[in-house]
Amino acid sequence: MSESPPIETREIPEPPVPRREAWRIPEAVFPVALLIALLLPLLLMPLSAVFVFAFRGGLVAFREALETHEAQFAMRFSLLVAFATAVLNAVLGTFAAYVLSKFHFAGRGALNTVVNLPIAIPTVVVGTSLLLLWGPIGLMGKALEPYGLQPMFTPVGVLLAHLFVTFPYMLGAVKPLLDELEVTYEEAAATIGASRWQTFWHVTLPALRGSIFTGALLTFAHSLGEFGATVMVSGNLRLRTQTAPLYIFAQFEAGNLAGANAVAAMLAALSFVIFFLLLNQSRPAERQR
Amino acid sequence: MNAWWQRLRSVFALLMMGGLLLYGVWPWLPSRAHATPPRTIVFYGFSILDHSITQDVFPAFRSRWRESTGENLELISSFAGSGTVTNQIIMGVPVELALLALEADADRLAQSDVVASRSWRRLPHAGVVNRTPIIILVRPGNPKGIHDFSDLARPGIAVVHPDPLTSGAANWAIAAEFGAGMRAHPEDPQAGYRMLLGIWKNVVAQAASARAARTQFDLGFGDALITYEQEGLWDRSRDKLHGEIVYPRHTILTEHTLVPVPRNIPASDRALLDSLEAWLWSEPAQRMFVRNGFRSVNDSLVRADSAFGRIEDAFSIGDLGGWARARVEIVDGVWRDRVLKEIDR
Repeated sequence: MSESPPIETREIPEPPVPRREAWRIPEAVFPVALLIALLLPLLLMPLSAVFVFAFRGGLVAFREALETHEAQFAMRFSLLVAFATAVLNAVLGTFAAYVLSKFHFAGRGALNTVVNLPIAIPTVVVGTSLLLLWGPIGLMGKALEPYGLQPMFTPVGVLLAHLFVTFPYMLGAVKPLLDELEVTYEEAAATIGASRWQTFWHVTLPALRGSIFTGALLTFAHSLGEFGATVMVSGNLRLRTQTAPLYIFAQFEAGNLAGANAVAAMLAALSFVIFFLLLNQSRPAERQR
Repeated sequence: MNAWWQRLRSVFALLMMGGLLLYGVWPWLPSRAHATPPRTIVFYGFSILDHSITQDVFPAFRSRWRESTGENLELISSFAGSGTVTNQIIMGVPVELALLALEADADRLAQSDVVASRSWRRLPHAGVVNRTPIIILVRPGNPKGIHDFSDLARPGIAVVHPDPLTSGAANWAIAAEFGAGMRAHPEDPQAGYRMLLGIWKNVVAQAASARAARTQFDLGFGDALITYEQEGLWDRSRDKLHGEIVYPRHTILTEHTLVPVPRNIPASDRALLDSLEAWLWSEPAQRMFVRNGFRSVNDSLVRADSAFGRIEDAFSIGDLGGWARARVEIVDGVWRDRVLKEIDR
């Protein structure tokens, strides 16, 4: 979920299946078996339970549960918010990483901590603080109200929450690479008369392409699953602000397990695909360095 | 080979993201969008209303409205515990019409200046749209032999109860438990307190709403669930009730209050909202509520339906002095300040 730290490209955990060369060593058998035995009830069985329950009523029931107007809206809305969050934070996060990496100024360390703070803050607290700022009883909300502007309980409010919660993921993907990027290329560009902007556009940015993609995908995945902040700022309105995770929660609470599980299975499947894309993306990035 | 594989992966990623984006925007593409977007009504309701409003009462209203005006309507809705809904409204959600589980929540809206004090009392039946008594739901065959509230106080009984902080049903249940104790032993001024204490010692799970408590019970928690009769009747009518309804000898008949929020209703929508409000009390709509297990405010509809069980002594919140008093004296004064302290929660 969104509480986990951003996965840096180098830190993708090894899949539980042992590598072939390790398999030959007999003493590996026991620890590997133990690991799998531990992972089974912790990770693998809960995940498979979602799919087992989703398909228990058969494919027809699964399709029917997915095809309701509310479920379709929730999935589409979640995807659109995730796309918007990924695109906006790709730009904002890359900019933040660039500033924090290439400029030296007083308070850089403090600023670096602040932009990474959303990782540590519980998402419910993010939701509460956004409401207390932008909500009708909030500081900014009160100032905006005379103009008829009300970001909370609208799709804009949901987007604001997602931008906040996922901000550090882009930074985590891009900044380590920027920090390590050979200064010599940039210096070389400068000696032949390239402006800072030209250097960034033609030298730095192409080198960052893989990391930006990884960061955007991570942001996308986290936005898709965001719950804690969204439940506070959305008003949980069906067909207007209800995202897929909120739909799952509401339907589960209401006892509609089939409806909840169908959407949950779709979300889980999508995040698997994204995870494997991330896994594969990380390897060439390693080679670049 | 490796580069080729790498390229294939990028193409796959791009195709997938493109496909997802297309799926996301599909209903809003120019060729697919409605010629005129439907007019919307934003409705918040307490948890057990979901099906009756979104599947019966509103669709019927929408058809009638389309027939008489040619306009399309869409209901933007949210259902949660009545207390949760009330808090959301105080925080400023754009609600136009709210159906709350109890008048005490409407009073909270008035205290927060969301609506004028007692404005809902001007509506038909003083704003009460439908009713349902608080009952006990037990496992099939009633293995623990539960026949009344007093049986829930027996040692070893596990009770699932909604949470009074967020659930309207929970507040009604506390009033029912307290009132049942008082009415069973009118000579004993502590009888209400003792009944609450006995039951709450046995509460093993609290959920945010009546519907959520119901889901907990269905997932296997507890021997008994205190909830609305409607929950049991609605499931029984669909052959989905895995349990039995137990009618306590004395219990309360809940009353659910409609609260229009004029400050969120544009002048152009006033007539539409008035028409929907009036529809809720019309005979066809009241019949739909009855079909969903609610007791109509129209007594003849209740008498005509044999599904409703007989309650020996049904009392109302008026018998306990109204919600303004009951909230302070029973829920806060007895349950929160005495019972919770006694059982150390």
